[in-house]
Amino acid sequence: MTIQENVLNIMRETFELNEVSTDLSQKNCEAWDSLHHLMLASELEDAFDIELEPEEIAEMTDFSRVIAMLESKM
Amino acid sequence: MKTFVFRNQTIEAFLGDDETTYSGYDDISMVPDDVDRYIWFYQVPVNPDSQQLAQEITSYRDKLGLVLDGVAASKPFIIFSLVNLFPLRLTGDEAAVEEAVADFNRYVVELSGTHAQVKWVDFSEFTSRYDADTLVNWKYFMMSQSLLNPKLRHDFQAWWQRQESEMALQRKKCLVLDLDNTLWGGVLGEDGIDGIQLGGEYPGKAYSYWQHALLQLSRSGVILAVCSKNNEADVLEAWEKNPHMVLRREHFSAMRINWQDKASNISDMATELNIGLDSMVFLDDNPAERELVKQLLPQVEVPDFPDKPYQLMPFFKQLVERYFRIYKVTQEDLDKTQQYRSNILRRAEQSRFVDFDQFLYSLDMQLDVIPADEHNLPRIAQMTQKTNQFNLTTRRYSEADVQQRLDQGWIIYCIRVSDRFGDSGITGTVFLRPVSDEAVHIDTLLLSCRILGKGIEDAFVKTVLNLLRLDGYRRLTAEYIPTAKNGQTAEFYDRLGMECVQQDEQGIKNYAMPISTVFEIKNCYNIRVL
Repeated sequence: MTIQENVLNIMRETFELNEVSTDLSQKNCEAWDSLHHLMLASELEDAFDIELEPEEIAEMTDFSRVIAMLESKM
Repeated sequence: MKTFVFRNQTIEAFLGDDETTYSGYDDISMVPDDVDRYIWFYQVPVNPDSQQLAQEITSYRDKLGLVLDGVAASKPFIIFSLVNLFPLRLTGDEAAVEEAVADFNRYVVELSGTHAQVKWVDFSEFTSRYDADTLVNWKYFMMSQSLLNPKLRHDFQAWWQRQESEMALQRKKCLVLDLDNTLWGGVLGEDGIDGIQLGGEYPGKAYSYWQHALLQLSRSGVILAVCSKNNEADVLEAWEKNPHMVLRREHFSAMRINWQDKASNISDMATELNIGLDSMVFLDDNPAERELVKQLLPQVEVPDFPDKPYQLMPFFKQLVERYFRIYKVTQEDLDKTQQYRSNILRRAEQSRFVDFDQFLYSLDMQLDVIPADEHNLPRIAQMTQKTNQFNLTTRRYSEADVQQRLDQGWIIYCIRVSDRFGDSGITGTVFLRPVSDEAVHIDTLLLSCRILGKGIEDAFVKTVLNLLRLDGYRRLTAEYIPTAKNGQTAEFYDRLGMECVQQDEQGIKNYAMPISTVFEIKNCYNIRVL
């Protein structure tokens, strides 16, 4: 599984969505509220075995920024 | 089911938002009535000012009371107990916080007794599985107002689901127990009354704990019954004669000790006790017996039984959680809580004693002085091996050594101590070697350190000396052999009134004393010579 696929799966489960795509962002996804944003961060930390700082978590506002952040960590 | 949650922190990640709505943080001003049930799930907030924090926690109690008065009595109201996830020890007055938490939790238990709709959930059962660093994730707390680590949410959800399904189940009423390798180790028919494993060292120790736990279960109102393939007469004799037996005949409301199949026996007992098969749980170490009961009586719960005796206590906890957990207390339970509280008050009263003897008197101590016999001999030998502090000569003896000395005519007593707070068991021994018809020598004298500080050593020795006097002994000798650990006994014989006749360069002291008059013993002990 690529990083992209892995992240999409995590987003689908965390936001409880039927469909996810790579243009997902906080703006176009109602379920991606502040609470679910933190749940997403904690799931990503566990899945990729990384630590995200609060500032970094705040920047991850859409799918591509999430991927960029993860790649910078690995 | 539509649920409304009263909360003071962000817990949506844990309880979910499927058909669930939440109050504002610590906000009880709006209580919706178009829901099916309510949950109260508060957490202890973070506040380094412990006085303030205690007051805040106390206010939760009042708010909970207000809310409960306002909601429909027909709707379930589930209350989580409070757990302090971030206990600070700063100035010493933090006890106020713990007290407020305990007070809130007691109040919740009381509510579950007075309000039919209330069930309480012991949140500490979940939190106690994790260490402090796992429970609290400060990064997420600062971003979200949720002290409980969001990474635990999957664990929490699994736990909570189990709580919900268990709450829907009815508490079982009766525990049916096999005997051999279930209530004790070994087989009674083969190993004999004193050969079964019960009491003493492991594995017997594990079965003692297990029986004590089952005794408490029966005190909590669960009916105990026996279903065993054994000779009934053997079992009755073991119950009567094995001194380590905690559960005896009187603790079992029904029993079938015979060679019939266990399924018929269990059905019989259900009829006799007038309870349904679906309120029974059956324990047996033998998988074949368990399978038979499962097949023939599917309504009876038949959990697997642990392979190792040391697994019995965690198994007991599981049993309680699965079948015998209390979500609601009864009036009787409340009475018990009341008794418990008055005990605390009584204890507080007793801390004001001015006079030490008066304190000793209040303990209601029972001292049983018991001659060595086959039941207590292993314990006596064990004490000589382990006791260091209150031990005048520190001579180590095996069971065979002790038996040999008994055979040679030595007089050996042990002492069993109990008081209002419980039974300490056999906790001291004295070995007396007759030197002539009139003279006797103390070879060994020791007491376990957990009973020291109550003058028991003095009463024990004087009781024994009075017994010796009745047996015609008139002279006593003794010695003190110093070790790195027994310094506290260096003057013991001096205090008893013995004369130190010789002291060598290693510090070994020899004593002598006539046994002429009766030794007076303080009347704060109830002494029995068995």
